[in-house]
Amino acid sequence: MSKNISALSFRKGIEKNYFERMVDAAEETGTAETTETVKSLADEYLVGEAITLGAVSFYDFLKKENEGKKVFLCNGSACLCAGTQDQLQTDIESHFPKEEIGHICCLGRCHEGGAFHYEDQNFSGLESGALENLFKNGEGDSSDNYAVGTNLPTPVLTADFPGIESYYAPFKKLIADNDRDALFEELKVSKLRGRGGAGFPLSFKWQSCRDVPNNPKYIVCNADEGDPGAYIDKYLMEKQPHAVLYGMMVAGWFAGSEVGILYIRKEYPDSITIINKAIEDLHAAGLLGDDICGSGFNFKLKTVKGAGAYICGEETALLASLEGARPEVRVRPPFPTVEGLFRKPTIVNNVETFANIPFIVESGGDAFASIGTPDSTGPKLVSLDANFNTPGIYEVAMGTPVTEVVEDLGGGFKVPVKAIQVGGPLGGIVPTEKIKELSIDFESFKNGGFLLGHAGIVSIPESFPMIRYIEHMFEFTGDESCGKCFPCRLGSVRGKELAQKAQNEDYKIDPVLMQDLLNTMQFTSLCALGGGVPLPIQNALQYFEDELKQYFQGETTQAPA
Amino acid sequence: MVSLKNQNTAYIDGEPFSYEDGDTVLNFVDRHHGRGQVPTLCDAPQLEPYGACRVCSVEIALEEEGPRRVVASCHTPLSDGLWVFTESKNIRNLRKNIVELVLTDHPLDCLTCEVNGNCELQTVAAKVGIRDVRYPEGDNHLDRTKDLSHPYMTSDLSKCINCSRCVRACDEVQGSMVLSMHGRGFEARIIKGADVSFEDSPCVSCGACSQACPTSAISDVFASKSIEATDTTRTVCTYCGVGCNLEVSTKGNEVLSIQAPVDSEVNNSHTCLKGRYAFRFYNHPDRIRTPMIRTNGHFEEATWEEAYDHIAENLTRIKNEHGPDSIAGISSARCTNEENYLMQKFIRAVIGTNNIDCCARVCHSPTAFGMQQAFGTGAATNSVEDLKYTDCILIIGANPTQGHPVTGSKIKQRLMKGVPGIIIDPRKIEIGPYAKYHLQLRPGTNVALLNMFSYYIWEAGLVDQDFIQNRCEDWEKYEAGLKNLDLDELESIHGVDRELVKAAALEYGSAEAAMEFHGLGVTEHTQGAKTVMLIANLAMMTGNIGRPGCGVNPLRGQNNVQGAADMGCQPHQGAGYMPVNTPENHKLYEEFYGMPMSDEIGLKIPQMFESARNGSLKALYLMGEDVVQTDPNSEAVKESMNALDFLVVQEIFMTETAQYANVILPASSFLEKSGTFTNAERRIQKVQATVEPLEGTKPDGQIIVEIMNRMGYDQPAYTPDGMLEEISQVVPFFAGVKWEELGLNGKQWPVTKDGKDTQLLHVDGFRRGLGKFHFFEWQESNETKTNLSEELPFVLTTGRLLEHYNCGTMTRRTANGLIVTKDVLAVNPEDATKKGVETGDHVRLFSARGEVELEVSVSDEVKPGILYTTFHFPENMVNNVTSDEHCGDTLCPEYKISSVNFEKILDEPGKSGVAVAETVMVK
Repeated sequence: MSKNISALSFRKGIEKNYFERMVDAAEETGTAETTETVKSLADEYLVGEAITLGAVSFYDFLKKENEGKKVFLCNGSACLCAGTQDQLQTDIESHFPKEEIGHICCLGRCHEGGAFHYEDQNFSGLESGALENLFKNGEGDSSDNYAVGTNLPTPVLTADFPGIESYYAPFKKLIADNDRDALFEELKVSKLRGRGGAGFPLSFKWQSCRDVPNNPKYIVCNADEGDPGAYIDKYLMEKQPHAVLYGMMVAGWFAGSEVGILYIRKEYPDSITIINKAIEDLHAAGLLGDDICGSGFNFKLKTVKGAGAYICGEETALLASLEGARPEVRVRPPFPTVEGLFRKPTIVNNVETFANIPFIVESGGDAFASIGTPDSTGPKLVSLDANFNTPGIYEVAMGTPVTEVVEDLGGGFKVPVKAIQVGGPLGGIVPTEKIKELSIDFESFKNGGFLLGHAGIVSIPESFPMIRYIEHMFEFTGDESCGKCFPCRLGSVRGKELAQKAQNEDYKIDPVLMQDLLNTMQFTSLCALGGGVPLPIQNALQYFEDELKQYFQGETTQAPA
Repeated sequence: MVSLKNQNTAYIDGEPFSYEDGDTVLNFVDRHHGRGQVPTLCDAPQLEPYGACRVCSVEIALEEEGPRRVVASCHTPLSDGLWVFTESKNIRNLRKNIVELVLTDHPLDCLTCEVNGNCELQTVAAKVGIRDVRYPEGDNHLDRTKDLSHPYMTSDLSKCINCSRCVRACDEVQGSMVLSMHGRGFEARIIKGADVSFEDSPCVSCGACSQACPTSAISDVFASKSIEATDTTRTVCTYCGVGCNLEVSTKGNEVLSIQAPVDSEVNNSHTCLKGRYAFRFYNHPDRIRTPMIRTNGHFEEATWEEAYDHIAENLTRIKNEHGPDSIAGISSARCTNEENYLMQKFIRAVIGTNNIDCCARVCHSPTAFGMQQAFGTGAATNSVEDLKYTDCILIIGANPTQGHPVTGSKIKQRLMKGVPGIIIDPRKIEIGPYAKYHLQLRPGTNVALLNMFSYYIWEAGLVDQDFIQNRCEDWEKYEAGLKNLDLDELESIHGVDRELVKAAALEYGSAEAAMEFHGLGVTEHTQGAKTVMLIANLAMMTGNIGRPGCGVNPLRGQNNVQGAADMGCQPHQGAGYMPVNTPENHKLYEEFYGMPMSDEIGLKIPQMFESARNGSLKALYLMGEDVVQTDPNSEAVKESMNALDFLVVQEIFMTETAQYANVILPASSFLEKSGTFTNAERRIQKVQATVEPLEGTKPDGQIIVEIMNRMGYDQPAYTPDGMLEEISQVVPFFAGVKWEELGLNGKQWPVTKDGKDTQLLHVDGFRRGLGKFHFFEWQESNETKTNLSEELPFVLTTGRLLEHYNCGTMTRRTANGLIVTKDVLAVNPEDATKKGVETGDHVRLFSARGEVELEVSVSDEVKPGILYTTFHFPENMVNNVTSDEHCGDTLCPEYKISSVNFEKILDEPGKSGVAVAETVMVK
């Protein structure tokens, strides 16, 4: 929240970025939490040592505990439900001492399970022989293979890339015509809503940034796709990078910004490489830089690598992170469009949101709105986890029945499944019998008491105890809580302890206490992390009462009304 | 209920109330129902809304019966017609549940806790009605250990609730950023510096964190949040000219601790460590507790009657034998306005001479003189508040974060946030890196640099012709002077790249509102007053006068140096700055005081010393001044003291000067007296006694009144209201000042008869009519011209530290003496190599006058050829080496330049006499 840190970091700006320097400092040893790094960065950026230390100690990949760690196992919900990680842990322990093994939450290998991060590369689904070869000989296949499909007659987000020249032709025309009001109309008509989870109308956000007279302005792409089970943004960055960059360039031109930043999680090393290459290609094609195509529009793009903190997917925490401050959630208002990065006007959108822009520029808002439902327009990507027969990325029109996704595209489940969690750890838990009532759009999920979120889907097998899943969700929240707001910092830990105690000891949870805890987190948390986790837990308590009541006083999960 | 849309009305629990633009829901409820109606743990009035604790949650709705939403009131903006529900069942439950969670990781040892009864967590827990914690025992942080490493600051982080108030106070209030959170989530914890103890961290012990902390997680050795005190009294700090308000907690006749009032306009909730913690000098065993008369070469205790008789007899004798002009008085800028007024009245009306001066002579007399020449008034044109509105900050010869810490913090806050700053100083100072420009000139070349600075503004056409035409005179003469400047010569004189000077000048010249601050680096030079006039030129030529966010603003040194001058403690002007040598003023003063008076300008302090040495001054009456340690060329001052026939020293401690007295009178400290101090922004504020005078001592005002009475003048007993009443009749700009109307935050003079005060001077016209331009060429100081040589090749400049005040009489007798124990000589690495010295070595530093021994700190804060030290410790007596050169207009000594040399001392440091402070701590 510190205005001073924002302003001091702004002095060096995005070029000699304070946060980036912290991340770089950790490259060698795995930690930036060293006396020398903290002192030198504190001196250079004119902040105190406490400020730098406070920031680096926040991140999984910068903090002291990370020093010397060599291999990181995914502990996200998709790998958990895939049931691959206990064996993987055992296998890896035969190659590394325990202190060199760390954990990481979701590498986007949810379609396969058995994911781990080693020497800046991600691997998944390797048998013990392949592991041996990797660790002994340095030979291993890090490639990521999954199905990509669609039920759209004309794919939008999964369409083949035709090459820079033709792909960016509408963009060139856009900036040559120089009519921002016209674009605004198209955006408004398209009714495009943010794909990061909140579903906020894009035209409104963009226009409000455009209206602020202050300069400079920034375009920030939230590519910190931390939801376990989601690899949608990863797909877009690695397979459709130009869709994302194009969207950011349009945003920059529209709002009057000259700088776009992609904040990409370190857990996605390939995304960073591919996006950087695409940026280079754009420079070579004369589509980035000063006076692009003689239009007078200047724009450059830069990637910044994250450092392992789920909360950075929350936009204000992401902006704080980019400033080098502790990525704690900031109060709103002011909204980022007014006071964003370095307290300057900023558009923050999710990867998938930006990726929808090229279609609107090329085909118009009406064409976009003709896909989907009246209130949830356009296409949506969903990602399916390893418990599906054909896991992968599927592009569907908003409004597509979930059954169609599960059965027709995903090919049904490999194992008996009792529920799916849609929309990440803060999304609802949909019991299998409810799947048929839902369609892929914001309203359907909301009305059903769930959340579409980012639309990553994790399947919870019959065999997986729901009480353990509740514990996992509380634990995830506790691990990833920034710690700023009291309900999330304390509530997540107490919730985890209740679930653990009920499993491991002769202890029964007071349903009133659990309800009080969930209400408190839901209604008073500062952001969607603490505020969101009660939803799936409430779903579980409601739909899996029979399984869960043994852990509760009075043999019921429900508090008296 | 009738809806009152669009009338700045919103509803609290169904009742309509008016709100102010920019209100948050919490501000709004606080204003109408009092702080605490909506509980909070992370919000504090001095801090920005943060939204961490969520205890301030309320329900809001757009319609009375409309759907309600739970929001944290501290950061939710109010909108018209909003319905706020502060006490619904849902809200009560949510709050209770949050506080219950907090208590799962908080020790339940309230009864033995330092802040029991004054703990915000305790209060909030009681308010929300927590009876028990339902969660089973879980992970917690109750085993964190206490940090008792620091002389003042303490922490017990087992009590921490992670509200970050301390972190935010260190950042938003103090601007030091020494505190932060470490780690994340449940394991997040407060760290100091690089996760070290308070003692090892760069903490400046301002105490803002302790005051902000809602529990005892961060506190101080005085347990300032405990409820042990029986009384609190609001008064004004005795240290610098910022004029911080203090809230002093006492029990019986003992001062327990000090906090800073949140509603103080000067320092809302902030002070430095001197104001908050350095008060234990007040009952130190060293306090003088009885009058003493020198008999046969040594002091003997005396009664007040004996002392008064002795003084009255001797002063009368000397006056009769040698005339009134053989007697002089030096008043104290540490004393109240009323005491200063009495002191000058005593010397002028009872003794009958204008030989009265005060320590403004040795600090800001050039400011008063210079600004009077240019504007007609020698006081700050604007208020510190104006920092909020400025677009450029120019700081010349001042180190605000050390010398004027609270104003320094406010300046630093603006610089950090990007307001362009220009520092003109021979030394690198703390705020330097935050400023856009640092013009690191050679000491003694301010005039050369400012001339070049003005030249570039003029050359770029950034002069405000309208302002000059309508408001000023002598512009043409000044412009002619600028035109004829030789820039090559100036550049070689001041040693700063002209392009840098130009860039800074254009920054100042093109700012919408540019604000200037200066300190003793301007005044304590042979061209001190002239430099002040050049600064006035700069402000006038750019129209930076009479508007918010601009002006010429001296950072006054002592708490009441402004007031001492206002009250007439200078030889040429009486109370209210009226010259004493014009017939009409002379008549006015004679009639008002009812005594025959001198109409001749009296002696300035250096002239007093000289007259003592040549025998024409026989007696000196000193109130609260240690001239031997603080005036330059100590040996010469001592000689003067020895030469006097009779010396009276009114003091709280046995100072270097008091050793020479014939009579010592034990005075009371600021904590034991009432009156007013006037801060650097002309703000007259109430000083209120917090305890009775220490047994055997009397307030200075009372002593002067009793002496006046003893010498036959009928002066009524000292009361602050009575004295102010008298002063308001003679000092024109005090016309409407009344003790009972000063309120919590005082009034800024001029105060008109109807009681209206003035934040901004010279809005429509200058006090002298037209603002006057002056042009001066740079002239080299005699000190460098004559003495700088192969034998004495270095220029020494002196200054002050945050931790000590002036000669340290008070601060050395507090735990500040444990934080900084000695004066240290800063030597550039190049010079250190040449001289073969390293940090920690001891050197003999010598000038044409004398020598001192000092420890060296090798530092690039000074350029090669320049040395820097402080003058806080009598063990070091740095003024042994400073010179007799003075400002040509005001005789303000040139402390800032001495031609010196130094050599390494090879003996054991202990033997060389470089001692550590003689601090004695009293618990």
